[in-house]
Amino acid sequence: MRNTKMISLAAMVASSGLVLTACGSAGGGPSSDGGKISDDKIVLAVLNDQSGVYKDLSGPNSVEAVKMAVEDWKAAHKDDAVSKNIEVVTADHQNKPDIANTKAQELYDRQKADIILDVPTSSAALAVATQAKAKKKVYINIGAGTTALTGAQCNKYTFHWAYDTYMLAKGTGGTLTKDGGKKWNVVYPDYAFGQDMTKSFEGQITTAGGAIGQKVPTPFPNDNFATYITKAAADKPDVIGTMHAGGDLINFVKQYNQAGISDQIKLAVGLMFITDIHSLGAEQFKGVTFTEAWYWNFDEQNRKWADKFQERTKTRPSFAHAANYSAAYNYLEAVQEAGSDKGDDVVAKLEGKKINDFFLRNGEVRAADHRVIHDAYLAEVKPAAEVKEEWDYEKIVATIPAADAFKPVAESGCSM
Amino acid sequence: MSAFIQYTLQGLATGGFYALAALGLAVIFGVMGVVNFSHGAMYMLGAVGSAVLLDVADIPFWGALVIVPILLFLFGVLVERLLVRWLLKLDPLYNFLLTFGLTLLIVDLVKRKYGVSGLPYELPAGLEGRVTVGGLSLSSYQLFAAFFSVALCVAVWLLLTKTRIGMIVRASTEDAERTRALGINVGRWVTPVFGFGIALAGVAGVLAAPFRAITADMGSNFIIILFAVVVIGGLGSILGAVIAGFLVGLVEAYGQAYAPSYAQVLIFVLMAAVVLVRPAGLFGREEAS
Amino acid sequence: MSAQLTETTRVETAASAAPDRKLNPFVRAGALVIALLAVLALPWLIYPPVAMDIMAWGLFAISIDLLLGFTGLLSFGHAMFWGTSAYVTGIIATRSGLPFHVAILGGAVVAMLLAVPTGYLAVRRTGIYFAMVTLAFAQMIFFIANQARDLTGGENGLQGIPKSFFGVELIENEPFYFYYAALPLILLGAFIAWRTVSSPFGRVLLAIRDNPARARALGYDVERYKIMVFVISAGIAGLAGGVFSVSHGFASLQELIWQTSGKVVLITVLGGIGTLWGGPLGAAVVVLLEDYLASSGFNGIGIITGTIFVLIVLLFRKGIWGTVADLVARIRGRAATAAQGKRDA
Repeated sequence: MRNTKMISLAAMVASSGLVLTACGSAGGGPSSDGGKISDDKIVLAVLNDQSGVYKDLSGPNSVEAVKMAVEDWKAAHKDDAVSKNIEVVTADHQNKPDIANTKAQELYDRQKADIILDVPTSSAALAVATQAKAKKKVYINIGAGTTALTGAQCNKYTFHWAYDTYMLAKGTGGTLTKDGGKKWNVVYPDYAFGQDMTKSFEGQITTAGGAIGQKVPTPFPNDNFATYITKAAADKPDVIGTMHAGGDLINFVKQYNQAGISDQIKLAVGLMFITDIHSLGAEQFKGVTFTEAWYWNFDEQNRKWADKFQERTKTRPSFAHAANYSAAYNYLEAVQEAGSDKGDDVVAKLEGKKINDFFLRNGEVRAADHRVIHDAYLAEVKPAAEVKEEWDYEKIVATIPAADAFKPVAESGCSM
Repeated sequence: MSAFIQYTLQGLATGGFYALAALGLAVIFGVMGVVNFSHGAMYMLGAVGSAVLLDVADIPFWGALVIVPILLFLFGVLVERLLVRWLLKLDPLYNFLLTFGLTLLIVDLVKRKYGVSGLPYELPAGLEGRVTVGGLSLSSYQLFAAFFSVALCVAVWLLLTKTRIGMIVRASTEDAERTRALGINVGRWVTPVFGFGIALAGVAGVLAAPFRAITADMGSNFIIILFAVVVIGGLGSILGAVIAGFLVGLVEAYGQAYAPSYAQVLIFVLMAAVVLVRPAGLFGREEAS
Repeated sequence: MSAQLTETTRVETAASAAPDRKLNPFVRAGALVIALLAVLALPWLIYPPVAMDIMAWGLFAISIDLLLGFTGLLSFGHAMFWGTSAYVTGIIATRSGLPFHVAILGGAVVAMLLAVPTGYLAVRRTGIYFAMVTLAFAQMIFFIANQARDLTGGENGLQGIPKSFFGVELIENEPFYFYYAALPLILLGAFIAWRTVSSPFGRVLLAIRDNPARARALGYDVERYKIMVFVISAGIAGLAGGVFSVSHGFASLQELIWQTSGKVVLITVLGGIGTLWGGPLGAAVVVLLEDYLASSGFNGIGIITGTIFVLIVLLFRKGIWGTVADLVARIRGRAATAAQGKRDA
């Protein structure tokens, strides 16, 4: 597939005719004569960040996970498979929404993708959702955390598979408070993501019987948090919550450790990935609590998959890799059941489906807002001394049942 | 009040970074007429270099503080000889653009080699704790970083004012035309000065490594603030760069303390105000156009 | 020019090429027809959304060239106009439901309004200072947009900008037809740039570029001219940004980030400074390259674009257009070369 792109210019000339024909037909969707596979093949496209900040979290290894899913699915279905011709294509959106938008159109129109997977970065994720709706093709988001995907900007063709900001707040804020961390101070970056996270956390903490004393806003981006940490620690709360992510989070944690309070006050992080711990070292994060969508070393089932993954990629999977596999596999199952890869048919099969696989525990694809719910986990980072093997950084301290972990449908604000 | 003193000290610590890096920028600009867009990338290389030295050769912070600037000096010499040199006689915009292209290249190469999630780095031995004076509690490392950068600025200042080499560089910085007229070969100093300026950015990077996220992108916001610093100080002025560096550090710290959402905007508001009142910057001379 | 800058001998200014005014009118008309045909044929040859991107970035580059090539000012903060217009266009289009042309024109007007104070401050400095001051202002706008989430949607972006056009569904749903519907705005921007350059006003700009002191001595209010061309350029950048945001259906912080300012300067220099029409050419190269690299599995577009940029600045300072024009001139014989030399002198 990649090699053919080499002559893309020449191909563009040839394909412009095709594009025009597609433009002429309603919505550019696949021709529908029911129960057929368009273009005689199923094309899964992974559109994600293969060079920027989310490269380690998902990136090229998510593509690998999707390929694994396709191989496993083929092996499981052998002769009864609705199509033997399954392709995986990929594009790098570099976290730029405009590139994501153009690439999504290209993938659906020209590469004949039947589904787009992953798409981290909320602005890019939402842009692709709009394209999925326009092209009437399936889109399963994994990498982005915004609840808008299944809220105000939800649509019939968009699913949200792994996590979102509500789940993070519910797990960390709610569970920690129940476990005795009643008095919170929250430090957050003062922009939409940070404000939303703080609001979600406040809701969960209050419901669980705690309270946020101080809410300390910080600039974004920022690399000097000493002042804010001093402020937040001043009235000795039980827990300090930080809503920073990526590079800012690393700055925050480094400086938090230097503030000499990490022994007295628990640090809870709103959004954190195992790749963050891996890059900075477990010792820096020891004792930090956060919510995980999935952890590779949680039980035997997860570990088995993680071993297979490691054989191919030489690294342990993040939750995003596992979720990409799970989404791709279950998409193929839905195509099989529908006997068609037409967007509407597959959506109909996915809606309301109850799924239990190594990633989705007690999972369900909610029909009303397309939020895919499943068990989530409250994790604590082990001190370096307890890390027995590489990537073995987390201790799962609580499981949040699927029914509680995500925003109730009534509050989602989604109308399709 | 004690909070205020704390913010002030934190501002000075941050200001030290800006001052050091801006000093390098100012010296390069003064002698060569080059605005080095890649200064932020060099700062990043300083931090990444420290982390790599620790990882590969087990060289700790104190070793890095010596080795990394030397390596960056050599890298600067290479960049000057291979690239910057060829455009010196042209409009300064060309070198600005060249170093911009270089930045894209360096940042993506580092991303490829060392990943995107950041590199681990610990506090240097002996500076892990906190110092408590009266009601104030400060991280010993931050105190060290603040004092070290002030001391280094002073040392550079002495180098520039008390030694012959320094005087030539300073004379070229302040008035290259006249220095040349006095029969001094400014050209000879061009390469070492470029390397020296880059090394200063590298020192700022090494100092940042223990308490900032070490990522390939860490220089991209830094360089913009650095530009604001030199516009405020006046690009031609060495003293201006240092004082504006600390000034911006303080504005940032107070901004963060009292108007967090606008801490970054405040720096640019300050810059706009300076440009409005004194277009040549606080310590720059009026333009002769 | 500040005293520090004059120490460098100017072998070659940032904009040595001047618009070719002495071409045979038939040749010129022919070239114009060919260019128009190429623009009209573009969405047949290239995937329409990509073709639209090329046109938007091309016009954006023209707005940079108007300043850099014809006035000698390098704006490194033009993303503030492109991005401001993208947001304003989006806000007008989503909230009023007016045809997208009106929204884009509104965006361009707001970009011009923003250019008045920023231009007033920025033109107080020349050369490299101008670049740094514009960059800093753009960064300020970026932070403000990030804060004003009620208007801009914060980092989620302003999503769902409609392509309303009197209920014509083909234009509203199909990128291919949208291209032709939006093209007049691109051509309008290009026409304004061309008129600006070839008018007496443009000649004053060239005089300012080549020798500001003499222009001032001749009685021209140099600063006022600079502000005026800055505002015009901001308007053109605004048109381009508006088209871009409607084409994509959203506006995001990416539109305001400094790397966007860097990218458009890169496109301009690649196309050829001081050529005006080099911009779209550079845009075609960069946009197609990005599009190709995004699906190629090669991670690290900066390595390619950075290297290209370094090479262009070191070896082909006249950019694609300038280098090709030189070659053509050489082929056409010494007479033409001599005339070129006379003009440059």
